Amino acid sequence: MNWTRRQALGAGGGIGAAVLLAACGGGKDASSSPADSAGGAPRKGGTLRIGALGRSSATTRDPHGNQGNESDYLIIALVYDTLTAPGLKDNTVGRLASGWKASDDLKTWRFTIAKGATFHDGSPVTADDVVWSLRRLRNTPAGAARLPGIKAENITADGKDTVVLVSDYANAELPLLTRLSTFVLKKDTADKDIVKAPGTGPFKLDWFRGGNARLLRNDKWHGGQVHLDAIEVTMFESPQAMANALLGGQIDVASNAGAVAARTAASRKDIQVVRRPNDMAMPIVMRTADGPFADVRVREAMKLVVDREAMVKQVLSGYGTVANDILGTGDPAYAKDIPQRKRDLAKAKKLLEEANFDFSKTYELITTEDIPGLAESATLFAHQAREAGIKVEVVKQESGAFYDKTWLKGEFYTTYWGTNDSVVFFASKTMVTGAGQNEAGWSEKDFDDTYRKVIGTADKKERATSLRELQQIEYDKSGYLLWGMADGIDLAGPKVRNLPKLPGYGRVQLENVWLAR
Amino acid sequence: MSEAAIEGAEAAAAPAAPSALRRSLRAVGRAGVVLAKRALMLAVLLAVVFAAIELLPGDAASATSERGESAADTAARRHLLGLDRPVWERFGDWMTALPTGDLGTSARGERVTDLLSAPFPNTLLLGATAFAVTLAAALALGCWAALRPGGAVDRIVGFASGIALALPEFVVSIGLLLVLSLWTGLLPAVTLTAPDGSPASWTMLVMPVLALAVPQIGWNARIVRGALADQAGAPHVTAARLDGLSPRRVLLRHALPGAWPAIATGAATSTGMLLGGAVVVETLFNYPGLGTVLAGAVADRDTPVIAGVVACTGAVISLVLLGADLIRARTLGARP
Repeated sequence: MNWTRRQALGAGGGIGAAVLLAACGGGKDASSSPADSAGGAPRKGGTLRIGALGRSSATTRDPHGNQGNESDYLIIALVYDTLTAPGLKDNTVGRLASGWKASDDLKTWRFTIAKGATFHDGSPVTADDVVWSLRRLRNTPAGAARLPGIKAENITADGKDTVVLVSDYANAELPLLTRLSTFVLKKDTADKDIVKAPGTGPFKLDWFRGGNARLLRNDKWHGGQVHLDAIEVTMFESPQAMANALLGGQIDVASNAGAVAARTAASRKDIQVVRRPNDMAMPIVMRTADGPFADVRVREAMKLVVDREAMVKQVLSGYGTVANDILGTGDPAYAKDIPQRKRDLAKAKKLLEEANFDFSKTYELITTEDIPGLAESATLFAHQAREAGIKVEVVKQESGAFYDKTWLKGEFYTTYWGTNDSVVFFASKTMVTGAGQNEAGWSEKDFDDTYRKVIGTADKKERATSLRELQQIEYDKSGYLLWGMADGIDLAGPKVRNLPKLPGYGRVQLENVWLAR
Repeated sequence: MSEAAIEGAEAAAAPAAPSALRRSLRAVGRAGVVLAKRALMLAVLLAVVFAAIELLPGDAASATSERGESAADTAARRHLLGLDRPVWERFGDWMTALPTGDLGTSARGERVTDLLSAPFPNTLLLGATAFAVTLAAALALGCWAALRPGGAVDRIVGFASGIALALPEFVVSIGLLLVLSLWTGLLPAVTLTAPDGSPASWTMLVMPVLALAVPQIGWNARIVRGALADQAGAPHVTAARLDGLSPRRVLLRHALPGAWPAIATGAATSTGMLLGGAVVVETLFNYPGLGTVLAGAVADRDTPVIAGVVACTGAVISLVLLGADLIRARTLGARP
């Protein structure tokens, strides 16, 4: 199916291919390549050479540090275990923790450490190690954001294998917080020893140098059988160089290579293009607190102006899916039954007139080139808005200037979230009144109340109802215009099998990968 | 500036009868003065770097903040990184630590010397190889062309070097990649790193070196050719030719020595171009050098890292320029 899509683009190009492409549903074709399906009995052995993006100036070795490089995170996530991890069917699955249970008031959570979990030096993992690691994480500058609502002193051990986390408020979704950065090290590891501190993960560190590393299989991993003998991680500054290395057979996998690289590789039948749907959200933010988009009717009009299919086809080269202005599309609890918003210029015009929208003014849409396609999405949207009589001018800002001047403050700008996460994650981080990254300056009492109901309800059914309601409010009123979701794209050589399918940080789970002969 | 100083010293010292000791003392003193001047220039350059990064929007704390960080967290990190202090204070601290070999700490808490310890030798290797290739090729081509002025070789070299010097490294790199790697598979497309941080195979150096060297060969071949043409009219060269010496001997023994100062100056300026071009070439070939470190550090507003890179490359360029100055001084000094 991938092949057809590429051919179609090659033949028709851009808009001309739109009709042909409409026939292909998004996101399903990933299963056509062997890399992400089990494809027979796993073979033990072999070295997987994987490329990941990173910049040598930003390399960091601290599992609780500020990891700007995908390559660093990949290495850390293979050597160390988090308490829990992102899953496909459930948002949260066990990793170092085998299970967790909440008290009736949803404030106290008890995590049980997996049986037989040991560090690479052979010593068993104790609750004290976990408590020390979580407190260390909590005490980093970004700690309050990584473990929100959990004070360091409220992380305690109960016996040898139970860790107790007490939240300041009821939080039915607390285990979500422990998925990405709760890497466990040995208690009292000194800062200078971090670089050689043993982990508990599926691979042990052989060597690390300037962002590149070699990892060896941990035969005693508590999580089960690991197939690969070793993994060699090479850091790449540019996705293009990474794709070239893959095409030249120097690496087996190019992790998160992007749509451009996928296009380059599409003509090579021996290269597998692995698509991980719902990987990256790149919404347009409209400021709700004040300014021209404060009126909810204007925001709805903008959401009706955008031609979502065209955005996905042109901005993402078709490597993505249409979205419905609700963030958290990969969540199993995502409200698929809310009708898909479609382009309706007449209705948009009517809404704008009702809101006394000033058509004579030119509105600046601020964007960056931080990720591929972002600036293009702004340009295409501006073009589409013009068809509705709205004058939008795209202004490109350099990343530093953007985060300094526009982010969280601007009236109209593009943003992106690579941690495609649950509905609750986005609600808590970006939409609840006063949230740290409330990008649209949104404050909606209904939404806040429903959010509190969601995280404060133990009953599953009741919580699901509230979660559906939360998404309806977000769909109706929020400052996010989410037109689509970009696929995460990995490129792999012909021998690679069973690559992870998960979006976002789930791409680092390489313990089940194996190499065919 | 320094060249003028040397010539001045030369003129003043010329009437004195030079004993071997005095001559060598004078040479050391001359080198010392030039070295001090270059060091001062480097310090000024570093001050400019600090000031320039200060002028860019955003700072290291915001540029490296995580998406989850609140404004207060970022402020706390800003304090931790010392960014809330005035820029001249940070510059002063950084400069006073410099002589001890301490280049400070990156925005992500890594020691800058650790960050540069593998890339710097790699870039030196790449730059030095490209420099050697440039010099050898430019000399060979320039001399070959100068053997028969106006001949076919001369015209071809003149034309080709003109094109080569106009080609950006980026274009050369893409061309090399397509032809030598993706189409023919002769050479590896990118550089992979061995456990010690250096390129895993020498074949990985070929394309980056060529990409850097080709434009510089064009530039330097023209300089060699031009300098030899100037020398061709000099009395001693004319005399040698009239003596019936072979053209090759006249060129190598009589014209070339006088052309050295111009050639050395041209080659020295190429050092800067080679190191500058390395930023682009290293990224395209994933070569683990300083260029890639610099590109990332600028995006992160990571002043200590940027200053560290500038200090390293600045020192290298200064040393090469000093070498060129000395060659100039020696050649000019040897002449009556």
